[in-house]
Amino acid sequence: MNFTNETINITELPKFEEVSFLPLHKDYWKIILIGNFIFLSMMSLGLGIFLFFNEEARGYWYLFYAAAFLLFLLSVGFGKLSFKKRGFAFRQHDVLYKSGVIAETTTIIPYSRVQHVALHEGFIARQFGLTSIQIFTAGGGDSDIEIPGIEKDKAQNIKQLLMSKLTSDMTNTDVENE
Amino acid sequence: MLRMSSSDFTLPQRQSLIGVLVMFADTLRKIVRGLWPLLVVWLFKFNEMNKLYLGLGVIGVVLVVGIIAYLQYLNFTFHIDEENDEFIIHEGVLNKSKIAIQLHKIQQVNINQSLIQKVIGVHALDIDTAGSSKKEVSIRAISHDLAIALKDKLLAESRKASQHEQPLDVTQTETEKPFIAISFLSLVKIGITSNYVRSFGLLLAFFFTVFENIQNLAQNSHTMDKVDAEIENYINQNMALYSAMILIAVVFFLILTINLFRTVIRYFDFKMTKQNNSLLLSYGLLTTKSTIIKPNKVQIVALSQNWLQKKMDVLNFKIKQASGSESEKENKKSAIEIPGCDEVEKEAILKLLFGQIPEKGVKLKPNFRKLLFPSFFLIILPVSIVFGYGFTTDDKVFDYILILPFYLVFVGLLLYFGFRNYRLFVNQQYIIRQSGAWDIDNEIIEPHKIQAIKVSQFFWHKRANVGSVTITTAGGDLSFHLGNYTKIKELVNMWLYQVETTKKNWM
Repeated sequence: MNFTNETINITELPKFEEVSFLPLHKDYWKIILIGNFIFLSMMSLGLGIFLFFNEEARGYWYLFYAAAFLLFLLSVGFGKLSFKKRGFAFRQHDVLYKSGVIAETTTIIPYSRVQHVALHEGFIARQFGLTSIQIFTAGGGDSDIEIPGIEKDKAQNIKQLLMSKLTSDMTNTDVENE
Repeated sequence: MLRMSSSDFTLPQRQSLIGVLVMFADTLRKIVRGLWPLLVVWLFKFNEMNKLYLGLGVIGVVLVVGIIAYLQYLNFTFHIDEENDEFIIHEGVLNKSKIAIQLHKIQQVNINQSLIQKVIGVHALDIDTAGSSKKEVSIRAISHDLAIALKDKLLAESRKASQHEQPLDVTQTETEKPFIAISFLSLVKIGITSNYVRSFGLLLAFFFTVFENIQNLAQNSHTMDKVDAEIENYINQNMALYSAMILIAVVFFLILTINLFRTVIRYFDFKMTKQNNSLLLSYGLLTTKSTIIKPNKVQIVALSQNWLQKKMDVLNFKIKQASGSESEKENKKSAIEIPGCDEVEKEAILKLLFGQIPEKGVKLKPNFRKLLFPSFFLIILPVSIVFGYGFTTDDKVFDYILILPFYLVFVGLLLYFGFRNYRLFVNQQYIIRQSGAWDIDNEIIEPHKIQAIKVSQFFWHKRANVGSVTITTAGGDLSFHLGNYTKIKELVNMWLYQVETTKKNWM
């Protein structure tokens, strides 16, 4: 009989905080920028319409546009920071996703708890050949991971990897549940 | 088990005729529930109303409800369609509907009795199906023999129809001895000691609704002007501190009574029966509800007890299960409450759910920074607003400054105890989070039920080395905020190791 039951040394367990995270694809930064530009132009358009109908405010048009531009700069700066802070990692048994500027958050989902995987392609992202991959658990909304900015074939591979882990797991689950 | 009954269920049949009374009571209750604010107002105006019209009105309502109930009875039929292996119910007076349940989907069949049903001697038969959030089918009035026969038939057919899926045979009859029965006394104890905040909210809502209705009426009637003036007068008088005390006492008394009635009506005759590894609960005074707990589906077990309840030896259980279906919305928290267990019952339930009584492991305390945010919002901000307003705009505020020390002591105590009770206990088998200032909750999770873990840290907490963790299960989340971050990361690594090596299923 080769049964052993040694004490686990907690400090020697693999540490999630020492994992080196992969950054999102460089082009994803462009997508963020484009999003911001769209936002800026919408805002400018809205302001233009507002100033066209409101004669009193028209005298101060430069103030409005300065505020809008400042807002744009802030959101670009914040976007850059947030882009830099994001990262993901696939370990042998779980997937990690790190994000957040104000609060740095790391979400970890073990493969054995993945319910299903979805790929999303936004209109702008498609022009760059990027996809976002969303990983669902039975825990619902808040615990899901969505990794944006992954090359399409890479995302497909990841999905395949997760699905293969999933199906091998599912067969076990099914047997025990029946 | 395969007892063939003489009753032929293949032909459509109606419920017991006397069951019209049950439907009558149901309809009446629905009407009262919908119109209660108006009824309360009428009650106040009872003396002003014409008694003849009132009497005629009551007779009219009773007649109409009676006719509706009778029509409901006439239109409600049920039978088993053997060709398609379905149980079929036709119902509805104006909107007719046909409900067909595939027999192999039937999970359990319960026979219950509410108070009204007990009085007139009929039973309710509820059918629970798998994989559907739809309201399960219920036959409201059926004689006991017929109920048993139908149940046997349904379960036998359901077994025939499905080869591998064994439906639960839930034979819950009065003869069977329940595993735990919550006594009336325990319910009273729980009723007067819990849910103060919720009842206060209810009371507030009640007053607002009644007030609004009175105001609506006031626009039509002159007599109400007087009442309006009186109310204003009354409010003015109330400005005196001693009246405020009386008001508080009255509110407190009302809260107690509401709580007591709610608890007793809701959980009257609470019974737990053991049934092949699962627990069947049934409770309720007016309508009997029944739910099932399967220990392997249980995700979070929460025990809640306050100081008074500890003295009286009662506590509340809240059990969160993962629902069987894949749909995300249904997976969300469906908590089951068990009110008023004593120490012995608590241990029995814990043993049944976990196989043992969960022990508290190594303690993790929050950082003192946990206190900063709430103290700012509950103490510093309100106090500075009051003083700022008093000094700059209107110094009448200072007439009520006596309230301030009471408020500060109250909030201070809440914050202090909330902080002192906030703990995370972890050992190899259990994660237990303790929280709460007055009602102390202990939420228990087994590590292999973890779905995902989230750790987060505000950038200004980096140097202090504090952070938070949220554990997600299929029955809800559990968070621990602002603890030692190194310690938390260590725990997360351990939990991940446990989840990724366990052979146990989370459901």
